Amino acid sequence: MRVGLFIPCYVNAVFPEVGVATYKLLNYLGADTDYPLDQTCCGQPMGNAGFENEAAGLAGHFDALFESYDYVVSPSVGCTSFVKENYPRIREGNGHICRTSGKIYEVCEFLHDILKVERLPGNFPHKVSIHNSCHGVRKLHLSSASELNIPPYSKIKDLLSLIGGIECVEPEKADECCGFGGLFSIEEPAVSVCMGQDKLYSHIATGAAYITGADASCFMHMQGIAKREKRAIRFIHVVQILASGL
Amino acid sequence: MSTQHAQEAARFIANKKQEQWHNETLWQVRRKRDRLAMDIPEWEVLREWASGIKMHTLSHLDRYLERFAANAEANGVKVHWAKDGEEHNEIVYGILKERGVKKLVKSKSMLTEECHLNPFLIRKGIDVVESDLGERILQFMDEPPSHIVMPAIHLKREEIGELFEEKLHTEKGNSDPAYLTHAARQHLRNEFLTADAAMTGANFGVADTGDIVVCTNEGNADMGTSFAPLHIVSMGMEKLVPDYQALGVFTRLLARSATGQPVTAYTSHYRKPRKGCEMHLVIVDNGRSRAMEMGDHIRTLKCIRCGACMNTCPVYRRSGGYAYTYFIPGPIGINLGMLRSAETYAGNLSACSLCCSCNNVCPVKIDLADRIYAWRQSLDPIGKADKIKKGISKGMKYLFSHPSLYRTSLKLAPLLRYMPRFLLYNNLNSWGKGRELPVFAKESFTSMWKKGKVNTHKSKRS
Amino acid sequence: MEKREGQHTQIKTVMSSKDEILTRIRQTVRTRYDMPEIKPDFMAYGDKTARFIEVSESVGGRVVIAGKGEDINDIIRSLYPAAKTIASNIPEITAATFNPDETETPYALDGTDLAVVRGETGVAENGAVWIAQNVKEKALYFIAEYLVILLDAEKIVHNMHEAYRQIQLNDYGFGLFISGPSKTADIEQALVTGAHGAKGVTVILTSTV
Repeated sequence: MRVGLFIPCYVNAVFPEVGVATYKLLNYLGADTDYPLDQTCCGQPMGNAGFENEAAGLAGHFDALFESYDYVVSPSVGCTSFVKENYPRIREGNGHICRTSGKIYEVCEFLHDILKVERLPGNFPHKVSIHNSCHGVRKLHLSSASELNIPPYSKIKDLLSLIGGIECVEPEKADECCGFGGLFSIEEPAVSVCMGQDKLYSHIATGAAYITGADASCFMHMQGIAKREKRAIRFIHVVQILASGL
Repeated sequence: MSTQHAQEAARFIANKKQEQWHNETLWQVRRKRDRLAMDIPEWEVLREWASGIKMHTLSHLDRYLERFAANAEANGVKVHWAKDGEEHNEIVYGILKERGVKKLVKSKSMLTEECHLNPFLIRKGIDVVESDLGERILQFMDEPPSHIVMPAIHLKREEIGELFEEKLHTEKGNSDPAYLTHAARQHLRNEFLTADAAMTGANFGVADTGDIVVCTNEGNADMGTSFAPLHIVSMGMEKLVPDYQALGVFTRLLARSATGQPVTAYTSHYRKPRKGCEMHLVIVDNGRSRAMEMGDHIRTLKCIRCGACMNTCPVYRRSGGYAYTYFIPGPIGINLGMLRSAETYAGNLSACSLCCSCNNVCPVKIDLADRIYAWRQSLDPIGKADKIKKGISKGMKYLFSHPSLYRTSLKLAPLLRYMPRFLLYNNLNSWGKGRELPVFAKESFTSMWKKGKVNTHKSKRS
Repeated sequence: MEKREGQHTQIKTVMSSKDEILTRIRQTVRTRYDMPEIKPDFMAYGDKTARFIEVSESVGGRVVIAGKGEDINDIIRSLYPAAKTIASNIPEITAATFNPDETETPYALDGTDLAVVRGETGVAENGAVWIAQNVKEKALYFIAEYLVILLDAEKIVHNMHEAYRQIQLNDYGFGLFISGPSKTADIEQALVTGAHGAKGVTVILTSTV
């Protein structure tokens, strides 16, 4: 199984340890994982801002770079869902058929649904509050959305339960948006910060030592608020916990 | 790159107490909706049906409108057709004038808001009385609704108490909601009994029977139409459903989604005029047929005006209805505003973090957030794109289209760690207003990979 | 098709708004969607009556089961001892002080303390009762301070799908579902009953068996 690792720009520059943990896990679980060096950005920030056309070239580049792999795996729900949902339309607009949207997976989804990991070494004796990122819940279906009348589930909880000593909790309004939303965060700073504060405080109210989740872009935003307000809670990506024993 | 919504929202949030109350109160409505929805095992099937019925009806609207109008006429209802708001208002005024109507009592109708009927009729000398409690409060204050189901949700009881002291001579300092509601009951009862005509909106029109279905909790539509000898219904043409079986689906969804009630207190079917009275129906287009030409945006016309998308929207709850420039706020309002005039209402598109919660609560499954995403793509061609956002996007495109340049910038990024604080946190940086900037790692993932620091674990492969 | 287009140009100048709207729709609709098949075979409650009572009470209504041989008039009097003007056109309701059908206008109904009417179908899922207009002036359902609806306990259905398969309008051309009293939460979301219509609604379940 050949896996192409896609490390989004913000993970690359701000959270490289999330990329390292992703690689470690895939490698440990037997996936032949490669990191094509010429990768850049999927184009989501432009798309969400209303300039999807600026992402057309990037989509073509992405397709060319990753089409030879069996799977593309990324530690980002936002980027994964962007490729999955919008690339087919963007590529079609340029007269191409998208060759990667059908095989890209967010890393938790990949571990849970494709590799079907059943055990992992590691112990993480802490209380963690799970941050259910919007696109993780409502686009990639990593957990059941609170709005829907469907049986509750959480792939993130399933995975974390493989680790010893961990206690998982969820904040009130368990899947309400933290207010990051890419350029939304700077176009609507007042609402964005207000949403971020509310989310941060509800995570803190659980008494957890860590906030964990599958999307570090939400962390950038909440961490920015936590730092400004000198709040002690720490942030850790799910894969960092899962790879803690490797 | 600050839209009007962003500025108004900042003002709303500055009153933290009010913002928190608004946010939490509407969240409780969302919670009530959840409890009711979870109580129906087939809830998701109902939503699917409702969406399917609406798409079917909209895509056969010509046939259903003809059938509906023919049935209504056979029932003795006079049917009028209005291409736009102006024609709608003229028709209504024409009917009122011909019968010498002085006082018109109205129940809540978003369509008449859309057509600006009230100011038009008032200018013509008609005494227009809104009878929904929330609408009456706002009419006294000369303000528009800030929510389509809970129009006065932005007001506090004390403000309403003071207003009623002045308008209805209630006790000084008494702002008990029950007391104020009953004072309004007395006041409006007199209006119902002295009105010359009653006007209602329509929640549904049933093509098979010609029924107009109106759902209220207060009973105000019913009070109005039970006394005055003239009943005028104003109905957007997208309100049709084919038959009673379809109606069964919608009456199960509407109140549960809107207010978390199993059904509204009154679900009234108006088929014929009262004995010796007249009933008129105005079917309104006002841009709806144009919206049908706009590709996937036709889905927005499925809306049954329940307001659930507002109650769940984290942005609406924290910015209030008046932050939006279109008279309907929230996710559905952003979309309806764009259908009305993309040039005029493009600013509202900023009021969305694309969290997609609205998509999931919508009882007719409008993909509201995806529609907003699609509308954003249409701004640049009409010259309405934000220049800074466009600049950022173009810059990103340039950077990301050149992998080696991108890698260089990754290498340089950690240097930002040593930038003086005043360069990072200034008025140009709206990120820095409530947040610290992310700190770049000492070494990027790419750089670590190239140096062989990542793939050192090959030996551990199982 | 050609013929229609020819007609279209011919009448264009005098086209009514109706024709203009319908023509526009015909021109714009590209994809026509099928009607989904609605198979309402679910949402059945083990005990429909129990559910009807539970939901009615949750929406602020009241349900009373008339015992075998019990006089409904006694129930009404005991429920509303203060009611002075009681309207009903049902012959068995001797507790009524007047027959609303004998009034000239709906305005004469103002001041009615209690109205007693018959309902046709009860709905377990939402506590609603269907009434096809059965009094001369529908105003009675709304203007009376309190409302009593007599409902045959056998006429309770599970859900709205079932209800809509049964209900019919008569020559009055008006009918409605009533679920609990009139209410509003327009002031700070505080629930208040008795907005414009009845301040209280009691459904008396009778048994024909």
